[in-house]
Amino acid sequence: MTDLAEQCGQICTELNAAWAIAKKDIRIYYLKPNIIVSGMLFPLFMFLAFAVGRPAEPSVMIPGLIAITILFSASSIEPVSIPIERRMKTFDRLLSAPISLHSVVLGESLSGFLYSLGIAFVPLIAGLILFQTQIISIAPLVAGLLLTSFCFATMGTLFAAYPTESPGDIMSMLNLVRLPLIFISGVFIPLEQIPKIGQFITFLSPLTYGNDLIHAAFAGDTHFNPVVDIVMLCIFILIFQVVANYLYKRFNE
Amino acid sequence: MYAIEALSLSKKFGDIQALSQVDFTVREGETFGFLGPNGSGKTTTIRILTGITAPTEGTARIFGSDIMQDTIVARRQMGIVHETSNIYTDLSAWQNLMFTAELYHVSRKDREKRGTDLLELFDLSGRRNDRTKGFSKGMKRRLTLAMGLINHPRLLFLDEPTSGLDVQSNLIIRDVIRDLNEQGVTVFLTTHNIEEANLTCDRVAIINRGRIAAVDTPERLKKTIQSVQSIEIAFDPASPVRAGDLEQISLVSEVRKEGDKFRLITEDPPGVLEGVMEYAAEHHLRVISVNTLGPTLEDVFIRLTGLDISTKGVKTID
Repeated sequence: MTDLAEQCGQICTELNAAWAIAKKDIRIYYLKPNIIVSGMLFPLFMFLAFAVGRPAEPSVMIPGLIAITILFSASSIEPVSIPIERRMKTFDRLLSAPISLHSVVLGESLSGFLYSLGIAFVPLIAGLILFQTQIISIAPLVAGLLLTSFCFATMGTLFAAYPTESPGDIMSMLNLVRLPLIFISGVFIPLEQIPKIGQFITFLSPLTYGNDLIHAAFAGDTHFNPVVDIVMLCIFILIFQVVANYLYKRFNE
Repeated sequence: MYAIEALSLSKKFGDIQALSQVDFTVREGETFGFLGPNGSGKTTTIRILTGITAPTEGTARIFGSDIMQDTIVARRQMGIVHETSNIYTDLSAWQNLMFTAELYHVSRKDREKRGTDLLELFDLSGRRNDRTKGFSKGMKRRLTLAMGLINHPRLLFLDEPTSGLDVQSNLIIRDVIRDLNEQGVTVFLTTHNIEEANLTCDRVAIINRGRIAAVDTPERLKKTIQSVQSIEIAFDPASPVRAGDLEQISLVSEVRKEGDKFRLITEDPPGVLEGVMEYAAEHHLRVISVNTLGPTLEDVFIRLTGLDISTKGVKTID
């Protein structure tokens, strides 16, 4: 019983430290110009470039816009904040604090997650007000917003493990992954229309499952079962968290 | 129980051997200086002792806890003041302190009281809510030190605490180190300022090329090179005197110009003094001050690290 209480206390302590890191990032980085451009304007312009003029229903386009907004906003905080902190040597503070590396990775991801959740409400509300889209089912929307945001925030933290002091180095690598994800995840091209051989690649993209889940909230139908989407997003989060933890440890040595 | 036990620490970065079999212990309540030229392994040692980097071989214990196995337990007992003033310049002094307190699991009530006390101690209360971007170098350094003390550490790592600071900040920081020592806090101090180590430290270790060259008290280290004695002399007028001329005086092995004075290194100060007086009379110079000096910790450092004037800007004593 005492051991259990001790373990619970330790988990609370670690979560408090992770929350402290997230609060610090919120105070410092949310209004940095490069984060605003990368997290808010970039997905909007991407959407306008590929969606305007296409004969698609708002109930199809708005989930896609929400999904790519989450992809870009969630994965934009850490690739900027962590290299800056390496340059300022403040990252050493986190690495030398009496907390586990998991809590550092979690805290960094939390700030991207919360940022992305906030930003995702912009296309969501715009869709409801300007395009009269309707939410058919709230549960997949909530699950989609939460899990997709957290998944891509952790992906951003994973990429930021690369030991550089320049945010541009990480953003370049990240865009090599983020941009192709848009085209293989059913955001602009429905999964059914992707050639069979290409469909295999779509299964490897977390955006596929996030987009499918959010699409279910507006259109009522899904390519996969919503439970499959949720399980797959959880698996991606776990993989990103474990790999990020390993890379921070390895690059630090 | 020792505050720090470094046991055969070695660290390799690729083919580069940064540390080789580094062994030393630091007693509880001791102020321990860690001296070495740039690239000698000081920062690598601190990174291993604070659990940021793993050693390739060997172990380190902090109050008995293995830093690699019981990292969190060991870190809870320490405060770390890094070489650069690594504060968050977009946050205020207070926010910086509170963030560090949260990372170190200091309770809300305790952290607010401790934060207020530390800002007072380091003369930063008036700037408590200002963003630290506008702080001077000395103020940033004092805040960094305050952040290192927020969790009441039993062991404080100080990496170059007073390097390049103004007089006010220097005095405040030295006073604080002295007070901490009196309160029983163990201080591990790396510094380039050898005089600072001489005045502050109970014992010093000198590290060179990743190996410990000596560990002892400053006075005992000085005794190991008693042959390095010197005369410090000032002339009026000083301008016509050349170090090269003074080197010609019998028994002088080396001459260093230190401000408006000359330091003549010799094994026989009385013998040299005679020659200096003859030189002064010959050149119509008035001797305005003369001191005989024993070896300094700097002399020990130079001797043990083998620094060379051509590469490091410091003279070698043979």
